[in-house]
Amino acid sequence: MEALWQGIDNLAAWPVLVAILIGSVGGLAIGAVPGIGPAIAIAILLPATVFLDDLVSLVLLLGVYGSSMYGGAIPAILINTPGTPVNALTTYDGYAMTRRGEAARGLSLAYSASFFGGCFSILLGLSALMVFGPYLRDLGALFGQRDIFMAAALGAVLLIAAHRRNMGIAALLFAFGVLIAMIGRQSLKQIDRYTFGIDYLYPGFNLIVVIVGIFAISQALFLLTGKDADPPEARLRGGLLRGFGELKQHPAVVTISAGYGTVIGIIPGVGEFVAQFFSYATARALSTEPGKFGRGAPDGLIASEASNNAVPAAAMVPLLALGVPGEALTAMMMVVFFDAGIKPGPDIFENNADFLFSLFIALLIINVLVVLTLLISTRWIARIIYVPNRLLGAFILILAFVGVFSIRNSFTDCMFAAGFGFLGYILRRLDWPLVPIVLGLVLGSIMIDKLTAGSSQIKTVFDLVNRPVSGTLFVVILCVLAFTFVTSLRQRRFEH
Amino acid sequence: MKSSATSDALRSAAAGGTLRSASRTRAFSSACPADTKINVQDVTDFRRRRGDLVFSLIMVAVALFFLVFFFTQTGWEDRKLPANMARYWMDQFGITSPEDRPARLGRILKQSWIAPLACLVVLVPAALWNLYGSVRAYRWRARFQLPNDVAHELTQWARALEFVAWFIAYTMLVPVLGYLVSTLLLGTALPWRLGYRGKRWMGICLGASFAIVLVFRTGLQIRTPVNIWLYDQLPQGLSTFMKVWF
Repeated sequence: MEALWQGIDNLAAWPVLVAILIGSVGGLAIGAVPGIGPAIAIAILLPATVFLDDLVSLVLLLGVYGSSMYGGAIPAILINTPGTPVNALTTYDGYAMTRRGEAARGLSLAYSASFFGGCFSILLGLSALMVFGPYLRDLGALFGQRDIFMAAALGAVLLIAAHRRNMGIAALLFAFGVLIAMIGRQSLKQIDRYTFGIDYLYPGFNLIVVIVGIFAISQALFLLTGKDADPPEARLRGGLLRGFGELKQHPAVVTISAGYGTVIGIIPGVGEFVAQFFSYATARALSTEPGKFGRGAPDGLIASEASNNAVPAAAMVPLLALGVPGEALTAMMMVVFFDAGIKPGPDIFENNADFLFSLFIALLIINVLVVLTLLISTRWIARIIYVPNRLLGAFILILAFVGVFSIRNSFTDCMFAAGFGFLGYILRRLDWPLVPIVLGLVLGSIMIDKLTAGSSQIKTVFDLVNRPVSGTLFVVILCVLAFTFVTSLRQRRFEH
Repeated sequence: MKSSATSDALRSAAAGGTLRSASRTRAFSSACPADTKINVQDVTDFRRRRGDLVFSLIMVAVALFFLVFFFTQTGWEDRKLPANMARYWMDQFGITSPEDRPARLGRILKQSWIAPLACLVVLVPAALWNLYGSVRAYRWRARFQLPNDVAHELTQWARALEFVAWFIAYTMLVPVLGYLVSTLLLGTALPWRLGYRGKRWMGICLGASFAIVLVFRTGLQIRTPVNIWLYDQLPQGLSTFMKVWF
């Protein structure tokens, strides 16, 4: 309880509260613009966080992460264009409602379901922290270097397996990301790897330079070379509060969907999409009128929004508990932890329990703030949909410069960021995934560090898997590999 | 993140497909054109595009580049390995019993070349596997006479290079004109180039550029170049003011 009060106390500071407000409202606006997403905003904000207090930085980024999906529902429902990729399923029933003249009802249901999903996973996390907190402090003893290595390896396997249709490309880009992370002088033996005598490469690539290049600059180039979308006019009539009452009529759907989001969000590399599909399928199976799904069924909309908003809090669990980010956004947040000198991992329960409470409570505040903002200002936020894409591209390019340059005052960083941006642009054009490169950089570094640090304990190959945690994780990796192999074979047979 | 998968979804939305609306007669609140439906498959689906083969070849070249330089750029020359590696691995897995005390595996794992080797073990086969898939897709497209010309895709890549050049020019302009002037310049010149012309657009762009400078440089005091040629030409007091705040 002491940690809980300390956590609340940490948040009661003006800079933190302002960061929560800016992150939440900014995230809403960013989510509402089709073409921009939280990853780009976080990539641009990352360098600024170097100059901010660690908690201020994290709540700012959490604000963007936690609120963007709320914003993404607005264009999904009003103009049938998802604001962020995870709002794609929202278009199914949300836009059908708009066509029936029930746009306000659709938005209201989306907000209430999102709010329930977000709060459900946060409160579950907070309860788990309070109930199991004293025991979690002992978790550090269970997790050694080899266990974290194996957890990161599991994250990598899940990430590649999740790219069903292009696993080869995901593996290729993941390995490429790990290789980029390796470039530079190895700290242990002072041996230069792939530096070719170039001074710039000795310290290695800065993670932020790569992230800004791959996510922000590439998106700017993509928008700049594309065409301006011409979104249709959308008008909104009616109040936005009725959905909160209507949500009570679907208790099973909203609870199951939030549960899916929470559980699946915890699994590294899997993410919001899978949670949404499971939730939507379950809601349809539970419905007495499954034929209405895709034609404006409120349970379909609730399932989609409740599950995707439950993910952000859940996705923080592997990052905080194991120090292993499960997807791109939490991988970016890892950079803030590095800068703050906080080591996410099992020891965090012992050393920084108040910090954990602060993050979860901040997420709760963000959810409340976002819903209040939306209830008041949806009509104005909806206008953001009409900002021209190419103009946005130009300003992302300007913001990317200040982001990259400020890290080390290096023009070479800017050049390399431009290079990574061009690489990311080609990947976007070809529909290749960007996330494996960034997770390769982060997870690769973790895997190498942990394996090196634990090497003194490894006498034989069995020492890698003879601990309870690492052994269990190894078995899970084998199961995932076997499952992926079998389902891929089945799919191939079916296609032929 | 707005992934390219979503672009697919958006394209599919634009392409067509009828939304089965239960009550078409009621008033609409959206003027969205002909009803379209985002397909979930589009979000997770993957189809190889024109230019995939070229980029797959580039990735194979990159993988081979790392492989070729593995032997000279990773500390491989200074490797410390048991004399008989085959026997060592058999000892490790208990197939044979060690004759004397075997070298600790951890000593091998912490050598600098191990991690690059593990990476290349994934990277090179994955690059070749991907190339195989890309060649198959290319042939499939050729067989069904689908557009296969890579020139169009390469032109698009070249178009993006123009904006990379804008970015680099901006980067080089900042130490000469300062962050404020360079940002105002790029913030108006690039939209002008994109076709956002006229007083209204220029006003919006100037305002947005100035806001960026105010937030990041003046407010957050983010580092930007300090030795600015233009600021050095200004009177001492103004020069210091500009260096501190802009």
